[in-house]
Amino acid sequence: MEIHNGVLDNLAAAQNPDGGWPYHKGGSWTEPTVLALLAYQAGRAPAPRGGAALAWLANAQRPDGGWTPRRSVDQSTWVTALVALLPPESIGAERHARAVEWLLAQTGMEASPWIRLRDVVRDGRLPDGPDVSGWSWFPGTASWVTPTCMGILALRKCQQRRPSAGLRERIGKAQAFLRSRRCADGGWNHGSARALGYELNSYPETTGQALLALAGTEPEKLHESIELAHRFLREHRSSAGAAWLRLGLLAHQQLPAGAPSFSAPGRTVPDTALMLIAEAAHHGYNVFVD
Amino acid sequence: MRRRDFLMTAATLGLAGCGRAPAPRRLSQVKITRAAAYSHDIYDTMRRVLAEHNLRVRGRRVVLKPNLVEFEPESTINTHPMLVHATLEAFRELGATVAIAEGPGHRRGTLDLADAAGYFKLIPGFEDLFTDLNVDEVSRVHLARPVSRLNSLYLPHTVLASDLLVSMPKMKTHHWAGATLSMKNLFGVVPGGVYGWPKNVLHWAGIHQCVADLHTLFPRHFSVVDGIVGMDGNGPIQGRPKPAGVIVSGRDPVAVDATCCRIMQIEPARIGYLTLAGGSEGIAEKNIQQIGENPDSVATRFELIAELRELRKEKS
Repeated sequence: MEIHNGVLDNLAAAQNPDGGWPYHKGGSWTEPTVLALLAYQAGRAPAPRGGAALAWLANAQRPDGGWTPRRSVDQSTWVTALVALLPPESIGAERHARAVEWLLAQTGMEASPWIRLRDVVRDGRLPDGPDVSGWSWFPGTASWVTPTCMGILALRKCQQRRPSAGLRERIGKAQAFLRSRRCADGGWNHGSARALGYELNSYPETTGQALLALAGTEPEKLHESIELAHRFLREHRSSAGAAWLRLGLLAHQQLPAGAPSFSAPGRTVPDTALMLIAEAAHHGYNVFVD
Repeated sequence: MRRRDFLMTAATLGLAGCGRAPAPRRLSQVKITRAAAYSHDIYDTMRRVLAEHNLRVRGRRVVLKPNLVEFEPESTINTHPMLVHATLEAFRELGATVAIAEGPGHRRGTLDLADAAGYFKLIPGFEDLFTDLNVDEVSRVHLARPVSRLNSLYLPHTVLASDLLVSMPKMKTHHWAGATLSMKNLFGVVPGGVYGWPKNVLHWAGIHQCVADLHTLFPRHFSVVDGIVGMDGNGPIQGRPKPAGVIVSGRDPVAVDATCCRIMQIEPARIGYLTLAGGSEGIAEKNIQQIGENPDSVATRFELIAELRELRKEKS
């Protein structure tokens, strides 16, 4: 498999002395640190200071089992799903299990009984059914597409390792959330498909993520989404968008031959890491799925 | 409470005091400047605008905060890079150290977004001048007397450490807030890296209330509104280009935004965050001294979606 050694070198150079990675420059954050580790995993190359990175992550776990986006923040958030994407043995099986427990205990606020009642009384609209439930970016807020996709991907990996009815049910509810939020053009916005009665635009990143999270489910209903992803891939203007689209299409074996490749390293650590992960997926190993 | 939190709390209390303590009302000066197009005249215009506001920024850290929203350079969704560059040059000529910073609310590739919007091409050394506020270092700032349901917010150091924050929004209608101008533009200082994309915590805590809280947190705030070509209809993303031919500036964001509303033929008293932050006195025409064009002389009707038509300023 062709690995972009130069790009991996760029990634290594961006690592902070504390073991974590920044988004661009500055202090370490959980998301770029996990994505960098996943990029090394995807390339089947040892991270030069992988032990330090894993120690940084391990030390950042909160007592509730979740992770904060960054050390100076004292709230567990969606990034816990990213950490749960790492192999359990990397951060320790117990830590990993507590991350999954945290994830299973979270839902977007729209699933709370009070908010459901409010929606009926105030807005006169029927809320989602009890079988529809995503994840929020930040506790106490609504579900959105990206954190829901990451939650699905993390739990699906757990389900592959040790199947359980609880995991299957939670994944199913989150996938139902994604299906319920699909835009009229077949893609995904960040959250709802409509606002104030107006159709919302789909975006490349979220469309690629949703395709990845819905891989293996009802492919016949995703034809329009895949067509849109093909169009987005031809027109993309962000490297993260291109990477997510490739990952989503590859998960459905729908990446067109001759699809544009990456022409330059990403501008940020997550962009570069996603590019490497997408390249590895193109060569048969998708760390989000396999 | 950690030392950092404590220090921020103390600072916030001080700032909150500045923002809310009753004091004899002085006239807030607002300057409306005609600008027909994004041409090189803007550089001279911005020099004159800053001179007229008599800003003393020599040796100070000034942060320009434009509004970057979408990968559509051909649209009018983002603050135009030429206006940002002209403002940067004008502040530099006054002796300030100037940076540019933004934390887009829903698209994550901030640098790619800035590139697509023309910032890299038009502003020399842009990447070195720019900080993505979504992923900057953060500290928690406690809200002493919040209007919203928030007790604290994590905020980026680049903005907290600035001597003057310059809000540079696009003049746009907004399907939830009515209008998005210099005050609502401060949603972009709330870090997506902490709260997500979009910053949904602000919606749950109350959009208008959060705008008012951010106003309290950043009283050292100057406004330059890009109304050369704004956006009307279903803004702030899906609206249509709306030429208004103006740059609106001033030290008092409430007065600047109330003036913009009058230009847009929106009744400022019906914009929730303006009344929360400024009260009826803060937005009253009698308390705003226009040192440029009169709002009536440049007023142009910004179309509103049906849900917002009650915001329309009707002439009596």
